[in-house]
Amino acid sequence: MTQHRRYSGLKVGALAVPTIAALVLTGCSASTSSNSSSGGSQEFSLSFATSNTIESPFQVLAENYMKSNPNVKITFNPQPNDSYDQTLRTQLQAGNASDVVVTAPGSGTGRSILPLVQAGFLEPLDDAAKKLVPTGSEALFGTDGKVYGQAPEITVVGMVANETAAKAAGISAFPSDFSSLAEQCKTLESSGKSFFALAGSAAPNTGLMAMSLAASRVYAEDPKWNEKRTAKETTFAGSDGWKASLEAVTKLNDAGCFQKGAAGAGFDAITKGLASGTSVAGFIPGPSWKQLKSAAADSDFDVRGLPAEQGSDKGFVFASANYAFSINAASKNKDAAKAFLDWAAQPEQTKAFAEIDGALPVSGLDSYDFNGGAYKNVGDLIKGAKYGPLPNSQWPNSAVYDALATGVQGLITGQKTADQVLQAMDTAWDQ
Amino acid sequence: MTATMQPKSEAAEAPRRGRGFPGADQKARPRGRGLQFGHWWWALPGIALVIAIHYVATGIGGFFAFTNWTGIGSFKIVGWQNFEAIFKDPTKLGALLNTLFLAFGSVFLGSVGGLIIALGLNRVLKTRYILRTLFFMPVVLSPLATAYIWKYIFDFDGPINVFLTSIGAGDLAKPWLADPQWAIWTVLVVLVWSSTGFAMVIFMAGLAGVPVEVEEAAAIDGANLWQRFRNVTLPAIRPAIAIATTLGIVQGLRVFDPIMALTSGGPAGATETLATQVYKQAFALGNFGGGAALALVLAVIILFFAVLQQRLTRSNPED
Repeated sequence: MTQHRRYSGLKVGALAVPTIAALVLTGCSASTSSNSSSGGSQEFSLSFATSNTIESPFQVLAENYMKSNPNVKITFNPQPNDSYDQTLRTQLQAGNASDVVVTAPGSGTGRSILPLVQAGFLEPLDDAAKKLVPTGSEALFGTDGKVYGQAPEITVVGMVANETAAKAAGISAFPSDFSSLAEQCKTLESSGKSFFALAGSAAPNTGLMAMSLAASRVYAEDPKWNEKRTAKETTFAGSDGWKASLEAVTKLNDAGCFQKGAAGAGFDAITKGLASGTSVAGFIPGPSWKQLKSAAADSDFDVRGLPAEQGSDKGFVFASANYAFSINAASKNKDAAKAFLDWAAQPEQTKAFAEIDGALPVSGLDSYDFNGGAYKNVGDLIKGAKYGPLPNSQWPNSAVYDALATGVQGLITGQKTADQVLQAMDTAWDQ
Repeated sequence: MTATMQPKSEAAEAPRRGRGFPGADQKARPRGRGLQFGHWWWALPGIALVIAIHYVATGIGGFFAFTNWTGIGSFKIVGWQNFEAIFKDPTKLGALLNTLFLAFGSVFLGSVGGLIIALGLNRVLKTRYILRTLFFMPVVLSPLATAYIWKYIFDFDGPINVFLTSIGAGDLAKPWLADPQWAIWTVLVVLVWSSTGFAMVIFMAGLAGVPVEVEEAAAIDGANLWQRFRNVTLPAIRPAIAIATTLGIVQGLRVFDPIMALTSGGPAGATETLATQVYKQAFALGNFGGGAALALVLAVIILFFAVLQQRLTRSNPED
């Protein structure tokens, strides 16, 4: 080989490297829908969030669908819950998100339907999905009369209690008002236990606790409070109910309601505390009772509303569709995706999904038998229509919830006052 | 590159001057056909990738600092609004102070600790090779993995509090990482632990270049241990100090994963740094424009301190 030929080869190589690199990079970002078959594809992909090793109810439902439809192939794309919002948004922006994605109603989180609709990422759904939208939550599922999310279940958010541990700790009757709750906390603390297991370093848990406290103090009195805040008729800082809710956090802390070291605890403290019975209750979504039961089979777990300030007649819980199936507007397998959603909307499937996840069914709630199940203590509240959607689903951005959640941690550690937290929430709302 | 430059400076010059090395009397070959090992355009693929991945991507990110982009959909150009918001927000200013505290604290303590260990393990000690490996180990280990181990150590039910309780000092037990006063110090402890080994290695390389004869001469002249260190060793390892502190400051200013694993910036923002705020704003809260602006501020701060530090510690003022 002559010197000249060698240099020519190197020149070609020098030009080829960036070309190949560009092609490889382009290939990496290609849509995952490339495996679709033309003409009525029976393949589609499904993205959902996972936060533990237990098989996701979304995956179980999809596997059931594949069993009853052997010609359908669903590719699962589970994502860690703490990075799900970011991953979903990035994939939607890049055009390579799954065909069916799990979203959340409203606008308060990164996976919320309304901002994704505004950006043109979601496909409008048909009447089957429209019929499953819980009454009063229509505005959270779409705009201009169109629906972009299909509710799979109703999630109750209050607290989950270890009834067996409560009885063992001498709690014969669950506290019916806030002052008796504080008394119970002191009794339990003296015996080395705690009423609540709190993940003080995990923003989702501290935020959920504050919202649960606001249920009877804000939303029982005024279910339209969020709409008034949107219309700038009220503010967090100017709301007596919200101030009382955050002051209740300090009262619970002072009464010794939380386990020792709660401010620095993670979610593992809740699982450990409730499963072992060293704590009686936790501020976690209702379906968690089923996962706790699998960890502590000897204990009975129930979903309850948080005792109200004035008593049980003022009780209020959050019960709403906190998740939804949505179809990616850029999907190349929309027909297959819609067929799956139509199947999932059938009453027997919504019932099956609720049983898989330990939640309430999104359809047929009026005739649901609460007796004997984990939801027996919230049955009266649900039947009496003393429930509403999770507040942050109606908040304009996730920064409001973040201000609440980190602020509550500051209340527990003494870094912040209730007024400071409420002002931070107003600032986040108006940004 | 050395090979490419060599013919021009020495190898190519010498034959022309005829200073007699093998082949010097032969007819000089035309320039460009001699010992030439490379062409500038060979670097093109690398240059193209570096420009595309580093500079173009950074430039685009910098552009978004002047927009209100949420990470999805359309955006508007908002000028300096994101930067104004940063300097009006006490959380961001707190994050800036925490960033500087952790960067300079870890560099100072890590460098002092690294220098002491390097001096101790430089000569004489028989077990120095094993000890060097042990002290360097934290640098090799994953910062994220070790941060989770530290999190367990500082946990309320962790070994520190168990020890305190066992010696009757249970009142001192606290959730170290969730205590507003102690959280930032516990993070500093972890950063110093992980950076000391790195400084030690650089100082050991510097100490290897200090001639034993000079130290012996100073000792014969009556210099005591401190005087020998102050007037002989320290000036000789000045370049090593410059490298260790510059890299340490850059690393300290952009520290992210240990803090996310230890405290996630908590309690209530007490350990928040600019890097954790960039992540939260851009990816967790959907404020991509604000996050990009914060990243730009962080980049400017790193550049400023890196240049300043280099100028302060350079050995030759004419450099």
